[in-house]
Amino acid sequence: MKEIVKFAAILMLVAVIASGALAYVNKITLPRIIAQQDGELTNGLKSVLPGTENGVIEPVEIEGEIVYYKGFADKKKMQPVGFAMLAVNYGYSSDIRTLFGVDTSFVLLATNILSQNETPGLGTKCEEIKYGDSSSWWQEQFIGKFLNELKVDKDGGQIQSITGATITSRAITNSISQSLTWLKEEITENNQYINF
Amino acid sequence: MSLTKEFIKGIYRENPVLRLMLGLCPVLATSSSVSNAIGMSAATTFVLVCSNFVISLIRKGVPAKIRIPIFIIVIASFVTLVEMVMAGFFPALSKSLGNFISLIVVNCIILGRAEAFASKNTPISSIIDGLGMGAGFAFAMILIASVREILGAGTWLGFPLFGTDFEPIAIFVMSPGAFLTIGFLVAFLNWIEHRRSAS
Repeated sequence: MKEIVKFAAILMLVAVIASGALAYVNKITLPRIIAQQDGELTNGLKSVLPGTENGVIEPVEIEGEIVYYKGFADKKKMQPVGFAMLAVNYGYSSDIRTLFGVDTSFVLLATNILSQNETPGLGTKCEEIKYGDSSSWWQEQFIGKFLNELKVDKDGGQIQSITGATITSRAITNSISQSLTWLKEEITENNQYINF
Repeated sequence: MSLTKEFIKGIYRENPVLRLMLGLCPVLATSSSVSNAIGMSAATTFVLVCSNFVISLIRKGVPAKIRIPIFIIVIASFVTLVEMVMAGFFPALSKSLGNFISLIVVNCIILGRAEAFASKNTPISSIIDGLGMGAGFAFAMILIASVREILGAGTWLGFPLFGTDFEPIAIFVMSPGAFLTIGFLVAFLNWIEHRRSAS
């Protein structure tokens, strides 16, 4: 009995020291991680809405939550570029967060995968940038696609899936397609852009 | 045993991956490209050196019956630390290695060294042992990743090696490729050892 108490006390001491040290490191790294993620989102939004480099991208909130973004080519918000939205779907082994941008007639402008933890060498190819290229070879095919073309080839669509990573390809494609369907309805119903 | 010997043994004679066959799971998973292999080796070596050092420091105060949970707490703390620092300062690497960083906790090289070496030796030689084992792990990782990346993707560290006509053998970046590469490497080393002991 005495031994158990002694062991428990030692283990507790070790655990307290370890968690104290980790709490300290967390305090230093957390702001950097958050800043990193914010920067990633801002850069991601710019990359999926080409033409907004000198303009503004403003979030649109519904019931206090940011649901999508509107992009303008100028600071006065006179020239609309399009909309951007974050699509999230579970792939093969992780949640895949994909940012996509569409123009005012809902044709895809660009996509950008913010985070994924798919199988290295297979699913991770969805983000792979070939040496000397500036953008992902797999995501390039999304540019200029219409909503009804957004299906992988095995499901009868226009998106070629990655060899050995059909589940990942399908998850990303379907998540964009679903989010875009919703976005299109939302905007056409509320006549958001047509007022400009 | 001198400190130099302590370091050298980890690279070849007691190479954790190719000779001791330890920690094969992360090797299989993260050796698909050389850049991943380097990142994973650096993270593993850091955890190995730090946990070896701390465990060797506290080895006299740790009761034998609860040494494993204490070692695990020490190792897990360093892994979490690496994970946070990597996410904050090297986001690209942290993204490509994903949750394999947290899996360093269960890498048997680290607990193995803690149990077999650090809990019985002085802090200085434990650090050297960690460095040597880390170097051995990195050597094996980079070797395996080079074979897999060159054959499976036609690149090395992201640089294309062949012309556009080269059709990569995709199986090498997948799991079977890892098994094949490790199998052939181990067979080759065993063959060398066999010849050496025969002569």
